[in-house]
Amino acid sequence: MTPDSLPKQDDEQAVPRPEITDPADERAPVDPALFEQVAAEPPFTRAVTATPLHLETAGESHTNRWVTWNGYTVPEVLSDLTDEYRALRGSAVLMDVSPLVKYRIAGRDALAYLERLAAQPVAPLAAGHAQHVIFCEGGGFVLGDGMLFRLADDEYRLVTEETHLAWLADSAEGFRVRVEDVSATLGVLSLQGPLSCFMLTEIGVDEAAALEPGAARWVSIGGMPVYLSRTGATGDLGYELWCDAEDAPHVWRAVMSTGQPFGLRPAGFALRELARLEAGHPRAGHDYLSAFAAIEPRDMLPPAAIWPDFSIAASKGLFNGGAALRAAAHIAPSRRVVRLAVEGLEPVRFAAVSLGGKVAGIATSTGFSPALGANIALAILDTGALAPAGLAVLAERRDGLSIVETRLPARILAEPAFSHPRRMMVPAPSRA
Amino acid sequence: MRRSGNTYDVIVIGAGHNGLVAAARLARSGRRVLVLEASDSIGGAAATSEIVPGYVGPAVAHLIEGFPKRIERGLKLGRHGLRYAARDVPTVILNPEGEHLQLPRNRKEFARFSKILPRDADAYRDRVALLRSQAALIEPMLGELPPDMQDVAAMRRFLRRIVWRTAFSGRAMLEGLMQTLPESIGDRLDGEFESPLLKGALAFDATLGSAEGPYAPGTSFRAVWREALRMQGQGLRQFEGGTGALCDALASVVNSQGGDIRLNTPVERILVEGESVAGVELADGMAMHAPLVLSAINPRATLIGLMGAEKLETQQAMELCHAPRPGSTAKLNLALERAPVFPRLAAEHYGARLLVVPALQALDDAANACREGRFSCEPALEIHVPSIADRTLAPEGQHILSVIVHYVPYEAEGGWTMKREAFVQKIVRTIAAFAPGIEDAMIAGEILTPPDIERKYGLAAGDWHQGDLRLDRLLGFRPSPSFGRYRTPVAGLYLCGAGSHPGGGVTGLPGWLAAEAAMHPEGSRK
Repeated sequence: MTPDSLPKQDDEQAVPRPEITDPADERAPVDPALFEQVAAEPPFTRAVTATPLHLETAGESHTNRWVTWNGYTVPEVLSDLTDEYRALRGSAVLMDVSPLVKYRIAGRDALAYLERLAAQPVAPLAAGHAQHVIFCEGGGFVLGDGMLFRLADDEYRLVTEETHLAWLADSAEGFRVRVEDVSATLGVLSLQGPLSCFMLTEIGVDEAAALEPGAARWVSIGGMPVYLSRTGATGDLGYELWCDAEDAPHVWRAVMSTGQPFGLRPAGFALRELARLEAGHPRAGHDYLSAFAAIEPRDMLPPAAIWPDFSIAASKGLFNGGAALRAAAHIAPSRRVVRLAVEGLEPVRFAAVSLGGKVAGIATSTGFSPALGANIALAILDTGALAPAGLAVLAERRDGLSIVETRLPARILAEPAFSHPRRMMVPAPSRA
Repeated sequence: MRRSGNTYDVIVIGAGHNGLVAAARLARSGRRVLVLEASDSIGGAAATSEIVPGYVGPAVAHLIEGFPKRIERGLKLGRHGLRYAARDVPTVILNPEGEHLQLPRNRKEFARFSKILPRDADAYRDRVALLRSQAALIEPMLGELPPDMQDVAAMRRFLRRIVWRTAFSGRAMLEGLMQTLPESIGDRLDGEFESPLLKGALAFDATLGSAEGPYAPGTSFRAVWREALRMQGQGLRQFEGGTGALCDALASVVNSQGGDIRLNTPVERILVEGESVAGVELADGMAMHAPLVLSAINPRATLIGLMGAEKLETQQAMELCHAPRPGSTAKLNLALERAPVFPRLAAEHYGARLLVVPALQALDDAANACREGRFSCEPALEIHVPSIADRTLAPEGQHILSVIVHYVPYEAEGGWTMKREAFVQKIVRTIAAFAPGIEDAMIAGEILTPPDIERKYGLAAGDWHQGDLRLDRLLGFRPSPSFGRYRTPVAGLYLCGAGSHPGGGVTGLPGWLAAEAAMHPEGSRK
């Protein structure tokens, strides 16, 4: 232990720090709670940044396997990945996704602000709905993507994988809008799986079935207000539950106790990654880099390289990167994010994707998909390697203490490895 | 086509001299022009105002040094009543002890100069020669549209031109210029001169209009820039009837071409349809339509205040949002019941530009004090008695005194309401040290602190350059890279104020060149 890590004695007499946020100032961007120093008490001086649900997930952990996600310590696997996967596809799982970055964007100009920020039209989004948004920098390269919830007429919540506060605050110049990072104040639970709607109905949330994909509403779970949205990236029916950080453990227990008899299991980060990979959603910072984080210019990607169905809507006015994207509309991106399936019936590790012996790209997320019975991946490939067959990956397989390298043929998946029509059904199936 | 009452070819926002020059040039090209001015008089910072009835004088700017002949001729301002009361006004540095020092303009004056400062005379001659030769290199760039920073070919042509011109002038010139660009004027003068008076005066000229001290990097180049602007113009001159006479003549040009100038008409916002400008909406809700809108007001106020940030991408908006450096210049206008008496000042120098400057170190202290919201105990002043050359400004035998005060904070420590009186006293006492009895001759006065200039004459933060003349904010980078060449992302909307190339001062060049850019939108001229 170093003397530095001991709490300072005179901290008690220290002058309290002035409040940073002025409620009258719509543009004050920073939530002071983020910078509150929590003094670590010996002997537990190595602080773990915990989500509001940490004690709940820690109690469920049988493996003690943890990962750091956005600086928070979250469980990687709670019991067994295969069991968790079986629950996800057969019943439902409950995951702690509180480390997601959440921004509250509110003010009279919030709509105009977001319309300029996002590459998609935002105006059609009605209150109580969510949509996927992509945002670019001035050169038309993607900075990030996220889900945008319209909470009220002039109040939005932007949920992203990575932090973007500097860009959001810079973009607020000239707008009567307040941007704040509310990540620490919200607990987020993700309830995913075919029985998720049934379980919500069992808890007493009858509104869940009628909720359309992407829609959201306030409900009450165990007496606590919860903002329930039909969102999630597993390719199946699923809901996300947004609540106060203090309420989150109680909501978790309420859902778990109701769901457990029907096969509900808690799950960790590894399952979230696998489900996302099967559903074919690229993750910011992992499958593609934010244009500001990319050191090599070729790692900066335009939206169409990551989301092939992206196009600029005819009704869309000016937005960040719009001029550059329109000017380059006829130029196909030189690299693409694609879904790959690799032959072979056992999980393998691989990274480089080659075509005719030459490296044509790199697999950024890999995993073994039980749904497809194959290794799948998200990969960035040179556009030239997209059309012909003959893709291969160099796979590593452990055999005892040695590693066996094999060249396995790969193909590009046109459809995600898992996508169930239940995902879009209205009303959602609510019977076991 | 029948024109309805609120449709024009061009709308110009702001009737300062730059707005009026642009309006006059566009009006003379046959366009129907509407000029909208928020205040109750034209002129902006180049106005003539009345101190008390019977005494009128230049409100803010008092002497003109960079107003080009081609604008005067091109707009036929002479026919519209523009007259000069004085040409080639000399500059005299007032010396608290000993003989006042005139900066020489010719051989005879140089002989007198070298008698007073025998050790600095040669250095001064060399300095003027160097300044002129360096200014001559950049001078042509000031009078033309800056190159398009996005256009590689144009940029290459531009750089080749400068490099060739510099290379032709020899290696010494190239080295000299490379040395001058980042250097501070204080260091340069310390190395060249001995007389604190002369050093103070030259540093004063280089820094006037900005809050930077004489030891701030880049100030040496400001002297070159100013010299180049002076070359564009016709020397130090004084208009008959005060500086506002220029704006009156320009307004007369606009009116004679069928243009309208409306006072007390603030613009609420700029209307944009699709990607081009459609006109403006006035404060009373009325829409005025025009396919061409030029704004002479501050670039930030134009693009973010009037047009709205949603019409700009984030990077473009951010370029305009650097914390503006507030102006650091105040103006004092006094009405005197008799002629001021400056002992030891030659009679022919009463109409001169009189400088009261402390030594370099004190000037630097003044800049630091200004940054901290205080004013220096040794103020630096530029004094001019316009009524000497122009008898129309004050009643017979009486005079007005026009003083520009350098390094005055925008926000005074304790507030201007508290400090105003002490400030005026300090300035008057400083002048009285050179012109005894001036306190008793004062019958009225007007003090314009930087916030006053902002409020009365609409200069944002009281900054006459609408954004500092920094090396990275010149030419096509002025006011910022996205808005160089007077253009904005919205077709038909142009910036024509001092915030654009080549900057502040009564030159009319931003307005003149913006009008040119607006008339040739595709950059048909390079």
